Amino acid sequence: MNHPPPLNQGLDQCIKCNICTSACPVAAVSDRFPGPKYVGPQAQRFRREGQPVPDDSVDYCSGCRVCNEVCPTGVPIAQLNARARAQIVAERGVPLRNWLIARTDMIGRLSAGPQAPLVNFVLRLAPTRWLAHYILGIHRHAPLPLARRHTFRAWVAERRVQGTGNREQGTGNREQGTENREQGTENREQRTENREQGTENREQGTEKSVLSSPSRLTPPTSTPPTSTPPTSTPPTFSPHASSPHASSPHASPIVYFHGCATQAYEPHVGQAALAVLEHHGYEVLVPPQNCCGLPLISNGDFVAARRAHLTNVRHLLAYVRQGIPVVGTSTSCTLTLKEEAPEILGLHSADVQLLAAHTYDLFEFLRLLAEAGQLRRDFRPMARQLPYHIPCQYRAHRIGQPVVDVLSLIPGLQLSLSPAACCGIAGTYGIKREKYAIAMAVGQPLFNFIRQSGSDLALCDSETCRWQISHATGVATKHPIELLAEAYNLSYYQS
Amino acid sequence: MFRCFLAGRPTKNRAKIAQKNMEYDTIVIGAGLAGLTAANARAARGERVLLLAKGHGACQWASGCVDLLDAPEHPLAAIAQLAAKHPLHPYARVGPAALHGGLKLLQSACSKMGYPLVGSPTQTLRLPTALGALRPTSLVPLTMVAGEARQLAAGGPLLIAGFRALRDFFPPLIAANLRTQGFPATSCYLTMPNSERQRDFTPMNLAHLFERPAFRENVAQQLRAHVRQGGYTRIGLPAVLGLHHAVTVVQALQQTSNALIFEIPTPPTSIPGMRLAHALEQAARQAGVHIQLGSWVVRGSGSQKRLETIYSAAAAREQRHHAQHWVLATGGILGGGIRREPQGALRETALGLPVHSPSQANEWFHPHLFAPGGHPIFQAGIATDQHLRPLDAAGQIMYTNVMIVGSALAHCDPLREGCREGIAVATGYKES
Ligand code: SF4
Ligand code: SF4
Repeated sequence: MNHPPPLNQGLDQCIKCNICTSACPVAAVSDRFPGPKYVGPQAQRFRREGQPVPDDSVDYCSGCRVCNEVCPTGVPIAQLNARARAQIVAERGVPLRNWLIARTDMIGRLSAGPQAPLVNFVLRLAPTRWLAHYILGIHRHAPLPLARRHTFRAWVAERRVQGTGNREQGTGNREQGTENREQGTENREQRTENREQGTENREQGTEKSVLSSPSRLTPPTSTPPTSTPPTSTPPTFSPHASSPHASSPHASPIVYFHGCATQAYEPHVGQAALAVLEHHGYEVLVPPQNCCGLPLISNGDFVAARRAHLTNVRHLLAYVRQGIPVVGTSTSCTLTLKEEAPEILGLHSADVQLLAAHTYDLFEFLRLLAEAGQLRRDFRPMARQLPYHIPCQYRAHRIGQPVVDVLSLIPGLQLSLSPAACCGIAGTYGIKREKYAIAMAVGQPLFNFIRQSGSDLALCDSETCRWQISHATGVATKHPIELLAEAYNLSYYQS
Repeated sequence: MFRCFLAGRPTKNRAKIAQKNMEYDTIVIGAGLAGLTAANARAARGERVLLLAKGHGACQWASGCVDLLDAPEHPLAAIAQLAAKHPLHPYARVGPAALHGGLKLLQSACSKMGYPLVGSPTQTLRLPTALGALRPTSLVPLTMVAGEARQLAAGGPLLIAGFRALRDFFPPLIAANLRTQGFPATSCYLTMPNSERQRDFTPMNLAHLFERPAFRENVAQQLRAHVRQGGYTRIGLPAVLGLHHAVTVVQALQQTSNALIFEIPTPPTSIPGMRLAHALEQAARQAGVHIQLGSWVVRGSGSQKRLETIYSAAAAREQRHHAQHWVLATGGILGGGIRREPQGALRETALGLPVHSPSQANEWFHPHLFAPGGHPIFQAGIATDQHLRPLDAAGQIMYTNVMIVGSALAHCDPLREGCREGIAVATGYKES
C-alpha cells in the first residue's frame, strides 16, 4: 500500500519541496545544472515524444541517485533524467566521445592482454592525453585504470585447466565436510537456535531459496580440493541442512558477475570474490557475460544498452532458471541487472525479471548468509581503522550498508564511514572534459574525509570511485572483498 | 511494562550468534524531528538502533525553530492546562518530563555542532517570518534571536536585506508588514558577490557561498555601508547564512557591519530546519545509529500483537528487517505518513494502521480556509494508549512493541496548535 510510485507516474508525486535540489551534489557545485526538481519532475512536463527537447541541462545530471534517496515522496528523479538524456541522444545522436567511453567492455578488450604495458604507456603520455582532451573531450587529468596483462577470465580459464579452482571439480571439499560434522555434534545449542531462525526464514521467500538452493547442475567431476586450506578457528556456522558447506555430496553453485573493470583492470577483485565464496563451499561459475550496460545507459545510448542487457539475460538465464544466484562485486553492475536496466530501458519480460530477482551484490549475499548463521567466522583479527565510502550506486540498492554489517564481524577492524554523498566520478561522468572539474568538486568532501583519516588505505566497492579517490587523494584503495579475503587469510592474488 | 516482558525473550541465546550489526533493539521509521529524537534517545539508552526512512523528513520544510504551543505567555503552563483539558492529547500522554528530556537532547545535539538553541519553554518568543508577520515559538537558534519582537521594539532602525536572485524572499514586503506593526523597518537588496555561480541561487547554494570568508566579507561590507548611511542597529537577512558554520557567519557579519544580524526563515527548503536535522543525524551516527534513507516500508508482519518483521522496498526485492521494538515516526498528512486511500479511508502508510479521524470525509475541510478552529482533517492521526501503542477502531492495542510518535499521532493538530516540534521531541523522547 506504500509502494513508491512507478516511473511514469512519479512526477505527479512531486510536492516541489526542493529537498532533492538541496541534496544534489552537482547542483551544489555547478550552476550549469539547475538541480533535480527542475530537470526532473518539472522539465518532464515539457518533454513530449516527437518534439524537440526543450532544455539539455539534464545532461549534467551524474546519475548518482542522491535525489531519489532523499525525496520524501518517492519521485524517481534520476530515472526520469536518464530517460530525458536518452531522448536528447535519440534526437541528436551519440557524440563520438560518449560512444567510445560507454563501451567499457570493448575498451577493456582492446587494452588488457599482452599489449597492456604498451597501451598503459601510450595512454599515459602527455601528448596522448592532450589529444584525448582537446579532440575527444576526455579530460587530461581524469583517472585512467591500468590495463592488466592477464584478464580475470584468462585467470579463471587457466585455473580450470590446472584444476585448482572450484569451477570444474565443485567442492567435494572433504576436509571442510568433516570439520562441519564435528561441529555439528558440538554445537547443539546453535542448532536449536537455527531451527528458530529457520521458521523465520520461511517468510523470506526468494532470499531463503537462494541461500539453500541445492545444486541442480550436473554432478561435478572429482578432484581433491586445493583451493582453500582449512583454517584454525572453527567456523561458527551451523551444520544446517541447507548450508552449502554441509556435508552434501557437492556444493551449491553460484554465478559470479565480474563486470568490465574486474575483467580488464582489477582481476584481483574477482579472485578475492572467488576465494571468499569458495571458502564458504560454493562452486563459483563464471559463465560468458558482457558489460552490464550501465555506461551505455548513462550516456543515453539505450539501443546499445538494451542489446547489452538482453545478451546478459541470455547468458545467465539457464543459471537463474535453476535458482542459482548471480553475485557481483561491482555495485553498479548489480544495480543495473537488478533494476536500472529493467526500469530505465523498459525491459520487463519474465526472463529479465528472473535475472533481476536472482542478482545480489556480493556483500548483500554475504550478509544474508550471516543472517542465516552461515557466514564463516574464522577471521584473523585485524587491528586496523579504515575509511569506507559507500558508493552512491550502492546506496541506490536501498539495502543499508551490507559491507559495514559484514566487515564489522572481523575482530579488531574499525570502519570510519564517509559522510559524503558521492565521489563525483559517477562512472564515465567525471572523465569528460566539461565535467571533470564538477566531479572533482563534488568529491571534495569525500577526499577531505579520506585525507583527514590519515589512513594509507581506503575501502570502496565501486571501481570508478576507487580510481577517483586514489586519483584525488593519492591514498590506495581496495574493494572490501579484498579485505574480507585477507581476514579469512585466503590467498587470492595472482602468483 | 512490556520492557520486562521482552527481557524474558531469548535475546541472550540469540546474542551468541548475534549478528552484531544486523539485529536491532529498535527500528525507527521516519527521519523527521520525532524519528531523529527517538533514534538518539534510544541509542543514548544503550539500544542498537536503525533509522529507516523514505527520504529526508519535514524538518526541511519547517522554520528551524522549536514551537511548543501557540500561547501568549508561558508555553509550559499552557501545555499543562491543555493536558488537563484534553487527556488524549499527546502532551497529556507523555507528560512534562519527556518534553524536557527531548528538548535537552535536541539542545545538546545542536550545541555540539556550535549552533546553540536559545530560549526557554517558559517564555513565548515572536520572530518575523518571510512575510513580515510575527510568529510565536519557544526555542530559536542563536542566529535568529536578535530578531525577537521585544528586542526589535527596544532597538533603533531596522534593515531587512536580501538578494534579488533569491526567490521567495522579498525584503520590501517584510519591511512593509513590520512597519504596519510599528517597527521602524526599511528594506534593501544587496548585490550578489562574484562567484563561479551566475544563476540558481537556492537557499542551499547561498548557504554554501556564505561559508566562504570572501563571500561573506563582501556582503558584510555592503551591510556596513548601509549601516553607516541609515544608522541601523539590526539587520534581518534570509536564513541562508551558512549550513555548518552559521554562528561563525553571523558573528563575522556583525563584526564588520556594526549591527546585530538575525536570520528570517525562508520558504522551503529551510536551511535552519536542515541544520537541526544535521545536528541530530550527526549525534545519532556518533551514538552508533544506522541511518538508511530511500527505503519505503511496504508492510510488516508479526504475531500475538507483536510486530516482528517489516519489509522495505529495495532494488529487485524487498529488504527484511527485524527488531524488538519499533517506533513509527512517519508524520501526519503533511509529512506523508497518512494518506487517503482511493476508497476514501485514511491509512497510515508504512504499516497500514487505521487512522482515527474526527469527521466523515465530507466534513474534512472547514468552508473557510483560515478558520480559527482549523480543518478537522488535520486532527486525523493514529490513536494510541498512554504508552503511545497503536489502537484499532475498537480501542484494542494492535502491537505491544510499537510506539507512535510525532505528527502521526491523533488528537492534536500540530500546525494550528503551534506544537509541531514540541510534540515531536516529547513523544520521540518518551521511553517505551
Ligand atoms: S524532493 Fe521529491 S517531492 Fe521534493 S521537489 Fe524533489 S522531486 Fe519533488
Ligand atoms: S542523480 Fe545525482 S546528479 Fe542527478 S539530479 Fe539526482 S542528485 Fe543530482
